[in-house]
Amino acid sequence: MRSFSITDGRPDMNNSNRSPFPFALLKFWTLRMLPAWLLIAFMIFLFQIAICDVVHDNERVKALIQYVEMLPAFIKALMGGEILEVGNIAGLIAIGYQDPLVLLLYMLFAVGVPTALLAGEIQRGTMELILSRQTAKLHVYICAGLITIVGMYALVLVMFSGTIVATKIYDFYQEVPLYFFFKIAIVGGMLASAVGGIALLAAACFRRGMAVSLTVAFLVVEYFISIISDWWPRMEWMAPLSIFNYVDGPEIFENPGWPIGDMCVLLSILTISTILGGIIWHRRDLPL
Amino acid sequence: MKAIEVKVLTKRYGKAVGVEDLSFDVEEGEIFGYLGPNGSGKTTTIRCMMGLLRPTSGWCSVLGKRVMHGRATQHRRIGYLPGDFQIWPGRTARKSLRVLAALGGGNGLKKKREELSERLDLDLDRKVGTLSKGNRQKVGIIYAFQHSPDLLILDEPTIGLDPLVRQTVLELIREVAAAGATVLLSSHDLSEVAAVCRRAAILREGHLVELAPIPQIVQQGERRLKVWFANDAKIPPVPADSLDGIRVIKQNAESLEVAYLGSADAVLKWLARFGVDRIATPQTSLEDAFIQYYRREAGHEQ
Repeated sequence: MRSFSITDGRPDMNNSNRSPFPFALLKFWTLRMLPAWLLIAFMIFLFQIAICDVVHDNERVKALIQYVEMLPAFIKALMGGEILEVGNIAGLIAIGYQDPLVLLLYMLFAVGVPTALLAGEIQRGTMELILSRQTAKLHVYICAGLITIVGMYALVLVMFSGTIVATKIYDFYQEVPLYFFFKIAIVGGMLASAVGGIALLAAACFRRGMAVSLTVAFLVVEYFISIISDWWPRMEWMAPLSIFNYVDGPEIFENPGWPIGDMCVLLSILTISTILGGIIWHRRDLPL
Repeated sequence: MKAIEVKVLTKRYGKAVGVEDLSFDVEEGEIFGYLGPNGSGKTTTIRCMMGLLRPTSGWCSVLGKRVMHGRATQHRRIGYLPGDFQIWPGRTARKSLRVLAALGGGNGLKKKREELSERLDLDLDRKVGTLSKGNRQKVGIIYAFQHSPDLLILDEPTIGLDPLVRQTVLELIREVAAAGATVLLSSHDLSEVAAVCRRAAILREGHLVELAPIPQIVQQGERRLKVWFANDAKIPPVPADSLDGIRVIKQNAESLEVAYLGSADAVLKWLARFGVDRIATPQTSLEDAFIQYYRREAGHEQ
C-alpha cells in the first residue's frame, strides 16, 4: 500500500527527504555545452600558438609594432600598451591573454552558458519539466553555476597550456617566465569566473534576451573603462571601477608574490554575484 | 487519506488574482476533475501544488507532505504533465524521457516506456522537433506515466490528441487509479471529466464555485424539456415573467425546447393548456451544468 506521513491529520512539515543533487542534470547540461566549450577552447589555444609564432621572430615583432604605432593610441592600449616592445618576450606573449578576440571568446561562453541553461530552459518550457522531477530549484542553479564557473576557469587553463605548448614549439632565445604566466592564468581564471558569476546573476534575474544584453553591456562598459583609464592619465581614477583592472599583467610580472588584494576583489565579486543570483533564483516565481 | 490538500490558497500576480481562498481535498485513489475556463486559475493551483509557484498565502500538501516552494517535496512519486508540454526539440523522445526519468532517480524504466509508446503508437526514436503536436503530447503522456507515480497531476492531458488516442489515455488514467494512484485531471473537455472522474471542482476567476460529485453537479444544472405540439396547435410564447428560471433553447413550427431550474411542475401546468403531441426530457450533460455555472456566476440568470 502507498505510504503517507500524516500526523493528526496535518501534513508533515519536516521536509526530511531532501532531494539528492541532480548529477543527471549536471551531466546532461555539461554534454550540451561541451561542443561550444571545446570550440572556444580550441580557438583560444590556437590563438596563443599564433601569437607565439609572431612574437618569437624579432623582424615580425618590429613590423607589428610599426603597424600598431600607426594606429590610434587606444588601439595600442587595447593590445597591451607599453608592453609592446622588441625583446620583451613575456609582454608580447601576454598580448594573447588580453586581445579583444580572446576576451570576446570568453564573453561568449560566460554569457551564453548561464543564459542558455537557466533563462533558455525557462523560455523553452523545459525548466518546468526539470523542476517537476526530484530536483530542488537551488540545485538546478548550482548545476548552471558549476558549468559556467568551472568552464570559464578551464578555458583560462587551456589558454595557459597554449602558451606552454608554444614555448616548446618555438625558440625564443631566452627563457619564457612560465611561472608568471601561470600566475596570470590563475588570476585571469578568477576574473573569468567572476564574469561567469555576473552572467549567472543576470540569467537568474531576467529573461534570456535581457540577461544577454545586460551582461554584454556591463562587460563592454567595464572593458572600455579599463582601456580609457589605462590610456588617458586624467581618467586613471576610473581604473578600480573596471573588473578587468584586477588582472594587472605588468604588476604580476614585476612582483614575485601573488596579487592577493586583486584576487580577493575578484573572489568577492564571484561570491557576491553567485550568492545573490542563487537567492533571487530561489525566491522568484519563474515565468514558466 | 488525503492525497492532495489545498487550504485557503491565494496566489496573486501583483494586483491580479491567480486564485483566492481556494480549499479542497483529493482522496487517495480518486480521479478528481478540475474544471474552469482559460485564466480561471487551474494552472496556478497546479503549479503551487508542484512547488513551482510561491503562494501569497495558504498552503498545499501532496501525499502527506507540505509543499515547499522550490523544493521537490514528493516529486519522485508524482507524474506531472504541464498544460503546454514542451521538450528539447533537437533530441529524440527516448533520450529526453531518459534524462527526465534519471532526474527522479528513476533509471530502469525502459520496459514501462516501451509499453506506453506501443499503446500510444509513438516512435520514440524520432527527434521531438519533427513530431506533430499530437505526438509531442504523447511524449508528455509517457513522461507523466513512465515512473508509475502514486499521484498524477495532468493539466489538459488530451489536448491535440485524436479521439482514439484520447480513449487510450482515459483508459490509462482508469488503470492507474484502479491500481491505487490518485489523479488530478484538469481539463476543458467536460465529457472526459464526466467519463473518468467521480468528483470535480469548478473554478471561476480564481474562486471555487462548485465542488461535488459529478452526478450532483449535473443535477444542479438546468433541466431540459422538449415539447412537440399537436398539428393544429399554435406554439405559445413562453411567459418568462410568470415561469421563473425558464429559457428557450430552440423553437420552430412544431416544437419548443426549454431549460428550467428546479421543479417541472409550473412548466408542465403551463404546457397542459395547449395541444401537446409528445414530450421528451433530453439528458443534461456536465457541459450544460458547467455553462450554467458560468452564466449564473456572471449574473446572466434568466
